[in-house]
Amino acid sequence: MIEDEKNGFCEEKKFNVFFRNHSTLLFNYLFYKCGNTDLAKDLVQDSFFKFWQNCSKILPTKAKSYLFTIATNLFLNAYAKSNVILNYKNTIKKDFTNESPEFILEEKEFESKLQKAISNLTEPQRVAFLMHRIDGKKYKEIAELLGISVKAVEKRIHNALINLRKNIDEI
Amino acid sequence: MKENYFLAKWLANEITDLELKKQVSEKEFIAYKKIKSTTKNLKAPEFNSEGLLSAIKNNKPKQNIRNFRFNYFYKIAAAIVIIFSAFYFISTKNTVFTTKYAEKTSFELPDKSKVDLNAGSKIVYNKKGWDSNRNLNLKGEAFFSVKKGSKFTVNTKLGSVSVLGTKFNVIVRNNYFQVTCYRGLVSVNYKNNIVKVPAGTSFKVNNNQSGKTFAIKDALPSWIENFSTFTSMPYHYVIEELQRQYKIKIVYNSQFENTLFTGNFTHTNLKTALKSVTIPLNLTYKTIGGAKFSFVENKK
Repeated sequence: MIEDEKNGFCEEKKFNVFFRNHSTLLFNYLFYKCGNTDLAKDLVQDSFFKFWQNCSKILPTKAKSYLFTIATNLFLNAYAKSNVILNYKNTIKKDFTNESPEFILEEKEFESKLQKAISNLTEPQRVAFLMHRIDGKKYKEIAELLGISVKAVEKRIHNALINLRKNIDEI
Repeated sequence: MKENYFLAKWLANEITDLELKKQVSEKEFIAYKKIKSTTKNLKAPEFNSEGLLSAIKNNKPKQNIRNFRFNYFYKIAAAIVIIFSAFYFISTKNTVFTTKYAEKTSFELPDKSKVDLNAGSKIVYNKKGWDSNRNLNLKGEAFFSVKKGSKFTVNTKLGSVSVLGTKFNVIVRNNYFQVTCYRGLVSVNYKNNIVKVPAGTSFKVNNNQSGKTFAIKDALPSWIENFSTFTSMPYHYVIEELQRQYKIKIVYNSQFENTLFTGNFTHTNLKTALKSVTIPLNLTYKTIGGAKFSFVENKK
């Protein structure tokens, strides 16, 4: 892992490795926040751009959370600038087969309900929840990346689940 | 009471379904279970990280950044170096005045002190801090009319001359060192001995002998008036001066080298000058092509 290396990220090889390791997660994180792939992509690019500019100052152990801090700030800037609430677009790919048509229909219905419910979550809840569900991040990792405590992550996820259940029921 | 986010713990498989069932209703449990299983299959949009990496590299960021950063750094560094070296060069650059053979010049120093430079001489000084430290190096012969002010020092390889404001002439030729004071008082540092040379006297040292101080009659060094005057000077020195003043080459019998010569020659007429230096020693001169002359003894 890049975190083990002692020097900064100004070396192209190191930067590439770091990018490959974390760009997808960063993209997902930004996507969960804003629900816009293009904006997320731009923000990833800008974040790494900024990361590269400051490559010499970055401690390897802090690099990942630093990257996420950059991204969060850039997101806030972009969000404040645009002041547009973006639609949450979620593409759910499923890979289950061998189900009855009713079941598939039911599943589809549930999926679309869930999708709506997820987009109705508060942003912090959605981010924490999806990082866990989609990216398979442990609460501890999420806490590190977001700069919050594990307890706070648990709270967000706990509340996210409650909100999702309630939301699905209502829809 | 400590907050218990059991749903989060359950989602992370930290507690079992059974444990969750104790906390929520059956209906809720089924809903949560469904959320858990369905969200397992959620996927984020496709993200082409390699494409973005190359975009970062090619577009604005990486390579450009690197060039920008380094170029920028080097440009600034180069600019600073240039500015400082230029400043250093300008501020510490020595001002040099030289005269070739058969050439005299006069110029003013930054404090308006006047310098007359005899043929084949050189003065080097630094404009920086001139007012507080009037210091110059001399090779050859020069006549100084120094404005009153801070200490004025003429450094030569044979000794230094310090004044506060006066008129004086300094000659440094080979091993010959002469300081003549025409007004005021100069102090000559010769081999760590300070010799005071008052107006109307001259101090001379030849070939490392001890210095001699003697009175002079002239109000100005004769060379200023286009004459070279010698009092008991070795003949070779006279010849050297003649060569300098007329940019000529003179061949003569070395037996006369150290013959003492008293007299003068003009700087304006070569024939007269040649006669002036040959006749006293019973010599005649011959042209031996170009600017070369040969001094030969008159036949008895």
